Amino acid sequence: MTQDALVNTLSYLEPILCAMVLMVLLRSKEAKKYLNLVALLSVKVLSSAICLAILYSAASWRHVLEPHLAYQTYFYVYWISYALEALLSLLVIYSIFKLAMSPLKGLQTLGILVFRWVAVISIAVAMGVAFSPHLAGVKFMVAMITQLQQTSSILTLCLLLFVCFAIRPMGLSHRSRIFGVSFGLGLLAVTNLVQSAWLSHGSDMKAAFSIVNGVAICLTLCVWSAYFAFPEPKRRLIVLPTTSPFLRWNQISLALGDEPGYVAVGGIPPELFAPAELEVMRRASAKMLPMPEPVEAIPAQATSTIMQSLTA
Amino acid sequence: MKLIARTLAVALVLTGAVASTQISSASTTAKVSVARNSAMPVPRCAPDDPNACGIAN
Repeated sequence: MTQDALVNTLSYLEPILCAMVLMVLLRSKEAKKYLNLVALLSVKVLSSAICLAILYSAASWRHVLEPHLAYQTYFYVYWISYALEALLSLLVIYSIFKLAMSPLKGLQTLGILVFRWVAVISIAVAMGVAFSPHLAGVKFMVAMITQLQQTSSILTLCLLLFVCFAIRPMGLSHRSRIFGVSFGLGLLAVTNLVQSAWLSHGSDMKAAFSIVNGVAICLTLCVWSAYFAFPEPKRRLIVLPTTSPFLRWNQISLALGDEPGYVAVGGIPPELFAPAELEVMRRASAKMLPMPEPVEAIPAQATSTIMQSLTA
Repeated sequence: MKLIARTLAVALVLTGAVASTQISSASTTAKVSVARNSAMPVPRCAPDDPNACGIAN
C-alpha cells in the first residue's frame, strides 16, 4: 500500500470511528456526563466530512470546484475546526477533572478555581505570544491556534499524570471511563506535541507524519469506543487514613469555601430598622444600664451633721 | 496492570515534555508548525497561494 493510499484510508476511517464512538457514547446514556466530549466528537465528524468532500471534489471534479476556491475553503474549515477542537479539549479536561474529583468536594472546588485561572492565563499567553510584528491576519490566527493547542496539550498531560497517580484515593480503577478518556486525550496531546516539532522541518502539505497522526487518532477512538461499549465498574468505597493529605486538604478546602458572617460596626442610620426592632433594642439597652442602688433610710442626726459641714 | 498504566502515562508525559522543548525553539520561525489530530493534509500555504498548495494533485 502506498503512502497516499494509507493516508486516504486513515482519513476516511477517522470520521467513521468518530461516529461510532458518538453512537456508543449516546447508547451508554453517559452523554450528559461527557457533554464536552460529545461536542468535540461532533466537531471532528463534521469538519472531517467537509474536508474530505472538498479534497475529493478538488481532485476529481475540478470543473465543479475550482482548486483555488477549494483550497481557501479547506484552509478556513481546517483551522476554524482546529481552534474549536482546542477550546473543546480544554473543556473536556475541565469536565474530566470535575468528574474525577466529585467525591472530594473541597479539593474539587479548589482545583476548579486553580484550573480556571490557569486556563485564562494560558489563553492570554497564547494570544500574547502570537502577537508579533511580522504576524498578521491569517498567520496570526494560525500562530494563536498553535499556541492554544500546545497549551491544551500540556494541560492534558498534567491531567493524565494526576488521574493516573491519584486514581486510588478517588475510588477509580484503570477500567473507569474517566481514565480511558484521559488516556486517549493524553495520546492525542503527545502526538500533537511531537508532530509540532516534526512539522517545523517539513514543507510538504502531505507530510509522512499524517500516517502517525491518523494511526494515533484511530487508536484513541478505538480506546474510547471500547471504554464506552463495556459497562464501567462502580466507584469503590473511598477509605482514606486519617493522616491522608487528600483528606486533610479536602477538609481545609471545605472550610475555605464557607461563606463568612458579617457584623455591622458603624454608620447605620436608624431608618434602616423597623419600629419593632428599634423598640427591642431600646428595651435591651435599658436592661443593660446599671441598676440604681437602693436608698437606705438615713438617720436624722447624720443628716444634720452633713448639712452643717456643707454650710461651714 | 497498575504498573503498566503508570509507566505508559509517565512515558507519554516525558515524550510530551521533550517534544514541547523542541517546539519552543522551532516556533521562533513564522512557519506553520502544528496540525490537527487527523490524517488529513495540513494546509500550510497561505489561502491565496497561486498553486492552491497542490490540493488538486
